[in-house]
Amino acid sequence: MREETALTRTLALDTGEWRGHLAGQHVDVRLTAEDGYQAQRSYSIASAPESPHLELTVERVEEGEVSEWFTEEAHPGDQFELRGPIGGHFTWRVEDGGPLLLVAGGAGLVPLMAMLRHRTARHSEVDARLLLSARRLHEVIYRDELGAFATDPGVEVAIALTREQPSGWQGFDRRIDPAMLVEVGPPAAAAPRIFVCGPTGFVERAADLLVALGHDPRAIRAERFGPSGG
Amino acid sequence: MDDWLDGNAIAGVLVEIFGRDMTTVVRGCPSCGARHEVGAHRLYRGAGLVLRCPSCDDVALRLALADDRRLVTFQGTWSVELPA
Repeated sequence: MREETALTRTLALDTGEWRGHLAGQHVDVRLTAEDGYQAQRSYSIASAPESPHLELTVERVEEGEVSEWFTEEAHPGDQFELRGPIGGHFTWRVEDGGPLLLVAGGAGLVPLMAMLRHRTARHSEVDARLLLSARRLHEVIYRDELGAFATDPGVEVAIALTREQPSGWQGFDRRIDPAMLVEVGPPAAAAPRIFVCGPTGFVERAADLLVALGHDPRAIRAERFGPSGG
Repeated sequence: MDDWLDGNAIAGVLVEIFGRDMTTVVRGCPSCGARHEVGAHRLYRGAGLVLRCPSCDDVALRLALADDRRLVTFQGTWSVELPA
């Protein structure tokens, strides 16, 4: 287990026989209480398909019974039910090519990180741009790893901090807007494959802006998570 | 306004029912003519689950989950490719 932020924890799972996954897929997790009460949630897979362990990054949601267990109570060695990998729509393989434009709102970074990790694991040179929107710097998950992409000429990481910026902040300091998407690129003419993940409102805004900039709606794949999670 | 998700969110229950991933299945909408993968449809959750066309909001699938059964209603053209 690895604490990513004050509210977010990554868990490495020993899944026994695991048939492998694609970057972008999720799993359904089911917890069963001693009295038989069950709760099920979906979590994106954070690790690359090439990784030896299946990793999930779980953000604690207020009153979220499942996320609270994962982020506060789970211990190494605990067991729970897992179904997956699930979903073929929101996936990317190196063979699919690029360029790649990844747009993340908060914890929506998780499945997009799996894509970037997959790209790195396969030594791919596909042009990849990541635009991450978060409220504050200390809420950004995988911070060190994102910083390390600075040495990869094929990856560009842009972070927009919408609520609060540390002094001397060099990144964006506002919500995503057309000028920001143009600056991050690639332009619509380059026909990037686009993956957008985040809360529904964020995804809608990002997708609308991208379409308005001329991107093909069919090239935009989205995964939304809602307030009813937890 | 933001109380809907997308077809990816019920990928697991669809696998349980149909035995395969359904999010990549393309649905042709009889109402507006658009073709979208199931994963790109809008998901509304209430007493049951309802998938709607992302272009025109026409109902694509209704899914009622009970303890002992699943009631599924389709609308539109679902093109499912199965291995021979």
